[in-house]
Amino acid sequence: MGKSILQVTNLQKEYIGEITYKALNGIDFQLGENEFVAVMGPSGSGKTTFLNSISTIDRPTVGEILINGRNPYSLDDEELAKFRRSELGFVFQDFNLVHTLTVKENILLPLTLDSLPADKMQHQLKQISQFLGIEELLTKRIYEISGGQKQRVAIARAVIHEPSLLLADEPTGNLDSKAVNDVMNLFSSIHTALKTSILMVTHDPYVASFANRIIFIKDGKLYNEILRGHNRKQFYQEIMDTLAFLGGGQHEL
Amino acid sequence: MSFNHIVIQNILRDKWTYVSYFLSSMFSIIIFFLFSVIVFHPSLTNLDPDSTLGLALMLASLLVYLFSFIYIAYSIMAFLKKKTKTLGIFMITGASMKQIRTLVFRENILIGVLAIITAVILGLVISPLFLMGAKVVLNAETFSMYVPIKAIMLTIGLFLVLFIVISKVMTRFINKEASIQLLKSDVVIEKSIKPHYLLLFLSIMISIGLGYFLNTDYDIGGSLFYVAFFVSVLCTIYLIISQGMRFLLKAFERSSAYMKQTNMLLASNLNAKMKSHANMLFLITILLSGVFLCTSILFSSYYNVEKDSEANYPYSFQYIAAPKASPSKVEADIENIEKQLSTVDLDNYFIEFKSNEERRIGYMSISNYNLLHNKKISLRANEFIAVAGNRKTLPITNVSDDKYLKQFKLVAVNEKNLLTTGFQQTYFIVPDEVYNNIKYPVYKTYLFELDNWTAHTALAKKIIEDFPHIYEERYVTSKIELYDAEMFIKSVMFFIGSMLSLIFLSAAMSILYFYLQTTLLQEKEKYAGIRKLGLSKQELFTVVSKELAILIFVPFTIAITMLCATLFAMRTMVSAAFLQVSMMSSLCFFALFFVSFIFIRKSYFKRLLSN
Repeated sequence: MGKSILQVTNLQKEYIGEITYKALNGIDFQLGENEFVAVMGPSGSGKTTFLNSISTIDRPTVGEILINGRNPYSLDDEELAKFRRSELGFVFQDFNLVHTLTVKENILLPLTLDSLPADKMQHQLKQISQFLGIEELLTKRIYEISGGQKQRVAIARAVIHEPSLLLADEPTGNLDSKAVNDVMNLFSSIHTALKTSILMVTHDPYVASFANRIIFIKDGKLYNEILRGHNRKQFYQEIMDTLAFLGGGQHEL
Repeated sequence: MSFNHIVIQNILRDKWTYVSYFLSSMFSIIIFFLFSVIVFHPSLTNLDPDSTLGLALMLASLLVYLFSFIYIAYSIMAFLKKKTKTLGIFMITGASMKQIRTLVFRENILIGVLAIITAVILGLVISPLFLMGAKVVLNAETFSMYVPIKAIMLTIGLFLVLFIVISKVMTRFINKEASIQLLKSDVVIEKSIKPHYLLLFLSIMISIGLGYFLNTDYDIGGSLFYVAFFVSVLCTIYLIISQGMRFLLKAFERSSAYMKQTNMLLASNLNAKMKSHANMLFLITILLSGVFLCTSILFSSYYNVEKDSEANYPYSFQYIAAPKASPSKVEADIENIEKQLSTVDLDNYFIEFKSNEERRIGYMSISNYNLLHNKKISLRANEFIAVAGNRKTLPITNVSDDKYLKQFKLVAVNEKNLLTTGFQQTYFIVPDEVYNNIKYPVYKTYLFELDNWTAHTALAKKIIEDFPHIYEERYVTSKIELYDAEMFIKSVMFFIGSMLSLIFLSAAMSILYFYLQTTLLQEKEKYAGIRKLGLSKQELFTVVSKELAILIFVPFTIAITMLCATLFAMRTMVSAAFLQVSMMSSLCFFALFFVSFIFIRKSYFKRLLSN
């Protein structure tokens, strides 16, 4: 493993309310360069909280997060926004595309916020849309394209600025099985061709089997970790077995 | 769980939506209530309902009520739009259309009743203050607090009817299909504005054409013509706003700045809501133009009272003794007036003229005329000067069938009326010898001109009271008294006008606020998504600021431009001093707008970011 892109130390998150609830209870985790890691766990295990803490959406109660050696929580709002659009890429379950913009404008949004020169923008747009096979969608509006296409556009937007870490939260949650395959193949090719590190939360074992490594979270703690060998079928079986131990989640198959 | 329970819970769980609706209803009710408190004030009971003042008050109340009607209807519409999704959920859970309508109706009535009660209570608390303000502005002696039972009854009655009618009508607008459609997909895509450049061109041409004819004195169509002009101007404004917005946005999209920083977000926001934005801009523009024109016209009338009174009645006191009056009585009257005026500095003139009573033409000697105007004009034996007798009417200059002046030559025309307007039609100023030979009845005229005359209103009232007109005996007029009476009417008008402007202004602002409210949720979701991608608060603030600034200051600019155009068209009729006043009030409005802009922006931004 090369140098680590993401370093998480003793991550804890408490939701303080009438009943204080500990969503994360001390997680240590490292993500190496060009690694593709899936996070699994039953509902309410804290996997989304984990991702949100890393994606700087949810401030952790205790613990430290370093992305490329920088602690995003030490940045002010302005710097943090810049940090997100340079270092991180996001793919969400509900796509999170801006309806008022066209496909092309959606993809370019992070670049326009940084006021990149127009020719550079066009160049990057051309490359990424060719790579993801969405060239013919560029002039369309968001409401004119299908779910699978929306997610591809969202992926294009997430990687156009070549982030060091791509974060995905249930990226296939809203898609049918064919679109799931397409999108996951894209993730794989981004991983291999663009050498982007990916951290993905999912509850679908099939989707998780595209990763190199899977970590399981239960009750806010790291429960288990399995590595993929050469065979994806075998990997899938291992995931199923771990989930059976974990309890919860299997019924979703 | 009863149905009413759902009605109440439905309100309590969605407080903020209802609060803004409640507040805007309450606001218009308070204004109406305060107006009626003045209208029914005991000091005004002896006010003639047919007088200008009575009419103005009635008209203002009517306007406020009418306005409340439209405004509350608009609020309900905006409010229903915001609640469509909730209603859709009710519908698919099995509520019948009838139940939905009952639900909405009861909600509205509940809020309406609450708004009326709160408004009346608040109104009662404010009214002493309001009456005090009115007292100062109206310069009235007694305008004390009383128990405004009539006003309370009227407000409650009228607004109850209003709420019942509006709620009943509005529930008919609930569209089942639309509500359920909204449930399926959150995003309602607005159709964008189509280009209508030809239509724009045509409507501009028509407006200009009508405006041109309005300026030239062709008498075609009368009031219908004004209505046509008004409608065409409204259409033109709408087209200019919508087409202009479309054009500018398209141009902006093609420019290189489009892809810079937050420009794309801003432009796409405007683009996606082009139609509703255009409607909003139009509505606010119209309201503002109403306010600006209203205040300017009122200012101008307020400003002109002194000049206006002087133009009608040139002298502080004018006593004309009719030919049939007994000389001893006239002498006694004049002595009396002089005695009353003994404490003030004044100039007095004693002159006379002869009148052809049939044609109402007065003849005055050149020496008397010179005396009045402090001049030394001399006329040759066959020359005369024509002087106006009526304000704004040119004097007669044709003397071909005049008994005495048939062969006379006109040497000058004075368009300023010589004495009180309308007493004679025209005065002919003739050489003294000619005057002596004229055999018409003589009107002896006593004129008193006070220094600093506007300060002597009490004196004027007393003298006018002491010497009323007696037909064919004496005619007494005073510009001071006229000024005083006019001043009172104008202050009332001014008061009403400022209240109306205030209403229009706050209406414009709250309509804007409502508009922002209805799309708040969608916007919030959108920005939450973009924030995750890396949009800093500062950048979000920039986008929101620019969008709001467009919504607020574009109508302001258009309205100001129209005001300036109107003033320019009327430049011959208004004085330079008035233009200054107009500029000042525009600046005040600008300050007011800027403050509301800051305020709205702050609260909107806060709510956009809140969870």
